[in-house]
Amino acid sequence: GPGILTRTLLNAGVRVVALESNSAFLPNLQSLENSLDGQLKVIYGDFFRLDPLVTGTVKPPAMCSDKLFETMGVAAVPWRADVPVKVFGILPQKKERNTLWRLLFALYECSSIYKYGRVELNIFISEKEYKVLTAKPGEARAYQALTVLWQVGCEIQLLHMEPWSSFVTNLKNGGLAVPKSMWLPNDHLCLVRLTPHQNLFTGGLKPTNSATFIFMVKQCLAKPKSRLTDRLNSWSLDNGGKLLRELEIPKNAETRDLYPEDYRRLFEALQNSSMFTETWFHDEVLESIRNINL
Amino acid sequence: LLRCVQQLKNDGFRVDDLFQKCLFEEDEKEKVLRAIRTVQPNYQLPPPPNPQTCKSSLLQDFYSKEKMVSYPKLDFSAQELQEHFQQQLEMELDNTVTIESVESTKPLTPQAIKARKLLATLRSRWHSSILQALQKSKHSMSKHKMVSGYNILYPYLCLLPDEEYVGIMLQILNTLSPQGESLAVLARELGSKVYNRYVTQRKLCSGQLEKVQEVYKDYVHLLAKDSKPAKYLPREYWEKLVAEAGFGPSLNLKDCSWPYVLIMRLGMHMLELLVQAVKVPRNILNPRLEPKLIPVLYHIYSFRSSWQVGLIKPHPIFSQIVSDAAETLLTFNSSAIPMLCPPVPWTSPHFGAFVLNDTKLMRFVDGAIQHQLLLEQCPPVNLHPVLDALNQLGNCAWKINQPVLDIIISIFNDKGNEKLDIPPPMSEAPRPPAVSGNSSTWNKSQKHELLLCKKKAAEMHSLRMDALYKLSIANYVRDKVFWFPHNMDFRGRTYPCPPYFNHLGNDVTRAILLFAEGRPLGPKGLDWLKIHLINLTGLKKKDALQDRLKYANEIMEEILDSADHPLTGRKWWMNTDEPWQALACCMEIAKASRSPDPAAYISHFPVHQDGSCNGLQHYAALGRDLIGAISVNLMPCNVPQDVYSVVAQQVEEFRKKDAEQGLKIAQVLQGFISRKVVKQTVMTVVYGVTRYGGRLQMEKRLKEIDEFPEEYLWEASHYLVKQVFNGIKEMFSATRDIQNWLTESAKLIAQSGRTVEWVTPLGLPIVQPYYRSTSTVVSICWALRQQAKARQVGITCGKPDTVKQKNAFPPNFIHSLDSTHMMLTALHCLRQGLTFVSVHDCYWTHALTVDVMNQICRQQFVALHSEKILQDLSEFMLEKYCSPGRETRALWQKKLMEQLSNVPQTGEFNLKKVMDSTYFFS
Repeated sequence: GPGILTRTLLNAGVRVVALESNSAFLPNLQSLENSLDGQLKVIYGDFFRLDPLVTGTVKPPAMCSDKLFETMGVAAVPWRADVPVKVFGILPQKKERNTLWRLLFALYECSSIYKYGRVELNIFISEKEYKVLTAKPGEARAYQALTVLWQVGCEIQLLHMEPWSSFVTNLKNGGLAVPKSMWLPNDHLCLVRLTPHQNLFTGGLKPTNSATFIFMVKQCLAKPKSRLTDRLNSWSLDNGGKLLRELEIPKNAETRDLYPEDYRRLFEALQNSSMFTETWFHDEVLESIRNINL
Repeated sequence: LLRCVQQLKNDGFRVDDLFQKCLFEEDEKEKVLRAIRTVQPNYQLPPPPNPQTCKSSLLQDFYSKEKMVSYPKLDFSAQELQEHFQQQLEMELDNTVTIESVESTKPLTPQAIKARKLLATLRSRWHSSILQALQKSKHSMSKHKMVSGYNILYPYLCLLPDEEYVGIMLQILNTLSPQGESLAVLARELGSKVYNRYVTQRKLCSGQLEKVQEVYKDYVHLLAKDSKPAKYLPREYWEKLVAEAGFGPSLNLKDCSWPYVLIMRLGMHMLELLVQAVKVPRNILNPRLEPKLIPVLYHIYSFRSSWQVGLIKPHPIFSQIVSDAAETLLTFNSSAIPMLCPPVPWTSPHFGAFVLNDTKLMRFVDGAIQHQLLLEQCPPVNLHPVLDALNQLGNCAWKINQPVLDIIISIFNDKGNEKLDIPPPMSEAPRPPAVSGNSSTWNKSQKHELLLCKKKAAEMHSLRMDALYKLSIANYVRDKVFWFPHNMDFRGRTYPCPPYFNHLGNDVTRAILLFAEGRPLGPKGLDWLKIHLINLTGLKKKDALQDRLKYANEIMEEILDSADHPLTGRKWWMNTDEPWQALACCMEIAKASRSPDPAAYISHFPVHQDGSCNGLQHYAALGRDLIGAISVNLMPCNVPQDVYSVVAQQVEEFRKKDAEQGLKIAQVLQGFISRKVVKQTVMTVVYGVTRYGGRLQMEKRLKEIDEFPEEYLWEASHYLVKQVFNGIKEMFSATRDIQNWLTESAKLIAQSGRTVEWVTPLGLPIVQPYYRSTSTVVSICWALRQQAKARQVGITCGKPDTVKQKNAFPPNFIHSLDSTHMMLTALHCLRQGLTFVSVHDCYWTHALTVDVMNQICRQQFVALHSEKILQDLSEFMLEKYCSPGRETRALWQKKLMEQLSNVPQTGEFNLKKVMDSTYFFS
């Protein structure tokens, strides 16, 4: 757009790499770049089209994260190290949910931008998605698989809330190009900071088995009111009851009652049981990757 | 009794009404008569109502008694037809048919023998555990005295013997694909199976079947070669016989259809029983594991962008055993097999087609019953033309082209052939590269490759099974003559009822079908066969018929080589658009041309004539668009016209002008505009494609062109779709007006809270079944009440889906016209003694009668469009939606009235010209 965010960041005195996906805005940015003596670097590319899944050559503005980090001159750091890069941006409303899922998947796989360490995201998302990300167990509608997975993966901080009415709209009727929300409040755009947890991979969870974790959480919360024991039984798990007792999860707990941390513990316990060695679970996980990686 | 009769009178009924309007089972009718005669000893049954005749101006000749000719005979004696009927009846009484698959000729491996034994043991175990689970659930339901959500299904679990429920459930288990199936689909299947058996049972118990048997015995005399000719249509003859039979049960059953929710709930319940009851020892394939019972079926969710689907999947252990066993018996519902006797003629929306299987005259979109109600309320005489057309299509007898079937089966049982559309067996599926170690350590590309393999395997499996079903059914009827009963969708488009194997299928299935009836080729038949062959190749599309014939004669050597050595020769046939039909045609040409007198050669081969962009043909005729009419071959021309090329040219002209004026995007597009780029959009304009959808299509086409610069994709596709629409507007100016008028009218109607309805020129009432879906869970009691209410007062539940009502109206209206044209052609072909079937806008007949059929086809098109179609539509809708009694003051009503009255102007194309247009259908 007109570069308000970029200018604010520059005024704050940080080094900025600007990704611009629309070639119409490039010339202006480039002249700004030339006048700034290295504080700004402009790249033609789209952050939300990083590492496309289709095979074949990547045509700009889509781009590969390897290329991007090379151009930025940022090297990969270990997971436990400090945040290597901070990203600022506004999630396109149309594919907000999709983008959140894709980022999540990259996070758990340590792929794409997360290959370079715990990249911190500072993104504007709609209030309804913010409500989902920060929901508590038992909150109807809001508490979802996305909630559990983001909360296990990142520290989530709200930095700022701005009413939608502050934004110019291009709709004829003067309305907002914001999808209406039936169940959750959606009056603001929220600036949210998502910092990956340092200890995300210290337990039984590994980038290699995280797809199974994601799959498990999604299956559990597909029907939030179903009982966890029923879920485990329908996966032909041998001793679901004993497992739940050990985890101190009540026998009649519904899947929406579990805290994100509970899901993590459940997963780690299941790692040691026979369940994940059952071939079908593996197949399903693989299959699910196709659907998640939309 | 006296009080009852008095009560009837007080309520405004006559005693005669009892016998004219009520439905009876068993000997109810006799008993009622006896009762009436106790109080009115002299009471006489009312005379049967006089058969009414359809008054449609389009069918005046067809229904006129003077011009009535006797119904064409089949090549069977009455005795033979009667035997065929018995076979069909026995098959339907069994509900299912189990047949040998075409794979059964393969030798059995020891592994397969072992797996089959294992399956047999498991199945008998499952049988008893399912039975137990069913009885347990019934028992616990029966203990509740009050009807509640918990036990509302109880009566529906008591309709059939327990064994039958178990059989239905086991059958589902056998047909479940390894990829699983959505919960909703399975539940519907289970529920409908119970419903179908229940209906069969009612037909048996109420004496309905006995009566059908009796009537059919006489009905065959209309068709049998050894009976006297009769000047009746099948429907008329059947009605006459029913009236003559007098007493006994009614042929229509009292209404007993179940609401959709009920079928789904019942199916869900049975599915849950299956999931809980069917188990397999985990160590069955690997004895080292501990012997623990695990469920064979499990629930899983699949996520598609924002929504989730519940699936039932079989455990891989079970899929493995099934695949090892390679069982070669296939079980089908008896309605999946073509009929072995001429179908029972349609005489009402509830009666016709199969002997026992419940078939609806109109296929329905899940849960919608509005069109069924509309058909019931419509005076029966208005439905006569449609019923007669369906009977006509269903009465065409078929047989199998055995040499072609044998070649196809040989390839199918060998390695398949993707190019020839014969799906390869699973043994040919790509194998993922062997990677050592746990799958969790695989890298991304390995996972990706494995995924691709799995996806491919899943696709191959479903294609293979589809082909296996089709070929096995074809093989099962290979020595028989058979029939496809027809019904229609809500727009009147007709379809054969058996779902897998029928003439609407792909190239492979069409190639193995022949008319059972043979006719000599006649003087021009061989030429038509040759032209038909060239049409099947897809070559010479732009050439005149004479040139196509000339070309066929030039390549006669190739044709004969293909016929004589299909798999070992030069294989010319394999490189055509429709290779299998082309091969079958080569063989027919070879046989005919080698016979001593080709004109006398008896041919069973169907020759096709296709409408060229049929939707646009109807639009052009509606709007009398001159240029448009020329481009879709409504005007006589020396060579066939191609509307796509014409539009492409038009767009190119626009582009040139814009480029000269310096428009950047027009300059970029230089050299990129072709027939291929515009084809899909032009084709789909008829079906109401919007600018938005059209742009996406364009973008796809442009993306396929490697040289096209990507950064201009959006702009270019946007520009192109605008120009294509402009081009079409120029050529089909009235067409666009009509489309807009239809869309706008539908929008206003839907906004006023009503669904769009109309009546085809043949009198078929149509309602668009699009409602806003409400995902609220409804109780069965509520649904049952609602259904009863709907039948009484004709109320509809749910608000119309405005967007769908609006966007779908123009294409649906055009489809209702093309189906009308087809039915008119079918009926008039019957009068001329032709064999006729259709695949929507592709008409089939014998080579001998192609010329006659073409003439009828054109005549009927002219006759149809000589009606004041749009005027009539406007009047009908004004009456329906703006009739005075309603609150006429409302602003929307005024607006609607204005819109509906304002019928678009038409151009000056002279419709009669169609009569001489060779390439109208060709």
